[in-house]
Amino acid sequence: MAALGAWRLLRPGRRWFSETVAGAPSPPRGPLYPPVVASITAKSKAAKSRRLQRFNERVQAAATVEEKLRLYGKLQRPKYTVYPQTFALNADRWYRSFTRTVLVPGMPPRGAAAKPPVAVAAAGATLEAGRAPEPGAQAPAVEAPGDAVAPGAAAGELPHVDIGELRSLACDALLQESFYQKKKRPFLYRDQDHTPGPFLTQLVSTLAASLSGHNPLLAASSLDLSPEVNYYWHHGEEAVVHGHRKGRVDPVRFQIDDNPHLQIRVPKQLPEVVPLESDLGDVPVIDHKPSKLPLFKKQYENKVFIGSKVADPCCYGHTQFHLLPDKLKRERFIRERLEDQIEVVYRSNGIASLFAWTAAQAMYQGFWSEADVTRPFVSQAVVTDGKYFAFFCYQLNTLALNAETIKSNPRKNICWGTDSKPLYDVVEDGNVKGFNDEVLLHLVHFLLNRPKEL
Amino acid sequence: VFPGVRQAQWLTKTKLVEGLPPAVQGIVDNPALGLQELEERAKHVVSHARLWDTAEVAPRREKYCPVLFENLIHICRLMSGKYPSLSKRMLARDCRIAATWERESILLQVRGLSGILMNSVSPIPPVASQEEILATREHVLETFYPIAPTIDLQEVNVYQELNDTGQCFRDGYPYSHPHTLFFLESANVRTDRFRPEQLRAKMLMFAFGNALAKAKALHGNDPKVLEQPVVVQSIGTDGQLFQFMVFQLNTTDLVSNDGVKNLVWIDSDQNLYERAQCVPEVKKRVVTKPAGISGFQPDTFKKFLALYLHGTV
Repeated sequence: MAALGAWRLLRPGRRWFSETVAGAPSPPRGPLYPPVVASITAKSKAAKSRRLQRFNERVQAAATVEEKLRLYGKLQRPKYTVYPQTFALNADRWYRSFTRTVLVPGMPPRGAAAKPPVAVAAAGATLEAGRAPEPGAQAPAVEAPGDAVAPGAAAGELPHVDIGELRSLACDALLQESFYQKKKRPFLYRDQDHTPGPFLTQLVSTLAASLSGHNPLLAASSLDLSPEVNYYWHHGEEAVVHGHRKGRVDPVRFQIDDNPHLQIRVPKQLPEVVPLESDLGDVPVIDHKPSKLPLFKKQYENKVFIGSKVADPCCYGHTQFHLLPDKLKRERFIRERLEDQIEVVYRSNGIASLFAWTAAQAMYQGFWSEADVTRPFVSQAVVTDGKYFAFFCYQLNTLALNAETIKSNPRKNICWGTDSKPLYDVVEDGNVKGFNDEVLLHLVHFLLNRPKEL
Repeated sequence: VFPGVRQAQWLTKTKLVEGLPPAVQGIVDNPALGLQELEERAKHVVSHARLWDTAEVAPRREKYCPVLFENLIHICRLMSGKYPSLSKRMLARDCRIAATWERESILLQVRGLSGILMNSVSPIPPVASQEEILATREHVLETFYPIAPTIDLQEVNVYQELNDTGQCFRDGYPYSHPHTLFFLESANVRTDRFRPEQLRAKMLMFAFGNALAKAKALHGNDPKVLEQPVVVQSIGTDGQLFQFMVFQLNTTDLVSNDGVKNLVWIDSDQNLYERAQCVPEVKKRVVTKPAGISGFQPDTFKKFLALYLHGTV
């Protein structure tokens, strides 16, 4: 009986308990069972990495940049507030390690070649005038001496710019603020708001306006007074020290909240200075916790902001101007016998502010630490205390500073910076004594910087 | 009590003309200036000031009014790429003005912070022709009998008759001619702001004070009819409504009620835009007002720019 029943079962007859059609090949199917992955809610390292992966996918798949920024900074935890203008000793080494920045003294190559070509371009102009007397050939003749000073191509415009005119504008602004306009006495410890602040505003606005004829990017720019620049990022890992989350490994969070005195934003990006993967030096490695700088933790909103919202067409940065407060004036450092820290103040301000600004610009374009930048973001800054000016140029090559992404990331951000030089010696009786043209020239170069196609 | 401009007119012995003077109107209508392309930039600038400038949802008036002013001035200044003589201007903030004059045996004075002042190296040429100035002789100033014209003015014992814009600037200042005064009503609370009529009166008084001080500095303290009238412009705004004014001082002889009068052209209540919506207004799941600036009026911006360019173009 049983064998007869089994024989009938074995025959390939009509199988009423299965649904396959006889003769048709079964279509290639995926795996029968769902993938075996870690749990989402368990208290395990695998579960944590799966949660992190889901979060990354969610941020990556966000429809708009505002949504992406909102999800990026949604979780609030205690974070270190990094102040660009700080009196901490050797702060610029610490800031370079937090932001993975290489400091290159001096100005980037296109700027370094700019100083000699002032004479060369003038000589080139006379050469070209002697070589090609007819006006039709003037245009190609200009290119020939221009090619000879290829790195200083941006300085080719300098003969057209009347330095005497700009010098008189700068002196007028200085004299108006410090001498001619009768003001009340400065408020206590607010000397910077009395004279250098208004002087910087006047100087930059008049110089930018008069140079806008030479630089079409400036003609489309947007000038902000006392804007807000914020950036939030993770770098490194630590274990939570106390509390109900004690012992868990967390990323180290940082936030920069900066208020430059003045900033110029443009609709087109500045050109890259060196290629994306270049390596110009070493990033300092500091073994101590950031709180030893001193740096303190606070928990508040994680903001990423360049100075205006995402909808603004002027979403790239050109130049920032920072004014050092009274607390960080030179006389104070000299009095406390910390002369070498004077330059540190300028450098840390330049590096931190520019990193925050360029990184926020990159986030506005949709890049973030998991989706690293595909093109370098370049911005410039001038840090001053009213008399001494220091110039900085920053190229952001990477945003991936997390503990996981930094392992496979060879790129470093680069910052070029000069030492601080005085613009003038003293203002007396309606005269500016010892005006330094070099500093003004540098400032003009900064304002004339623009993409190559413009 | 009654509109402030009429009282200010009596106090400064001025005749009012509605609308902007023909010289300024000519700059507005001049196509060679390329004012059309600037409309797009002006719209961006208004959106920036009203919508995009802050990390919060909407900026407050204390923030957006000065930002809008700075942005508009920035666009105007960028025109100096085309007209190099425009760079001979300097903005001065927190200027204190002081001017005194006599008006039918009542001693009046104007003192205080006069907003933001723009100075230029060269003066603005007179806007009204010689005939118009002489024609003001026939104009009779409106009196407010039985109300004394000094109603609502503060009576103060003056120990020092101060009389200069040199109160604000020392001698030898190259940018010695006051060009335009800007008044920003940026208080958040509506009752702290001046109403449009009061703002126009304030603009008139301060423009008159600046012009009088400049005239006394140039021609001395004696009251007389000026051969070279002094022209000072004035723009007042609360972030949306703009008041434009051009004041020409023809005489410093203010004691009597007859003779040549001063002239003022006022263009009032010009809206730059209708509304600025930061978040779209949704009623019953339908968007009734989309986010953005609506009702942008390019003419107001053109007048702003024309007043800025007046004197050099």
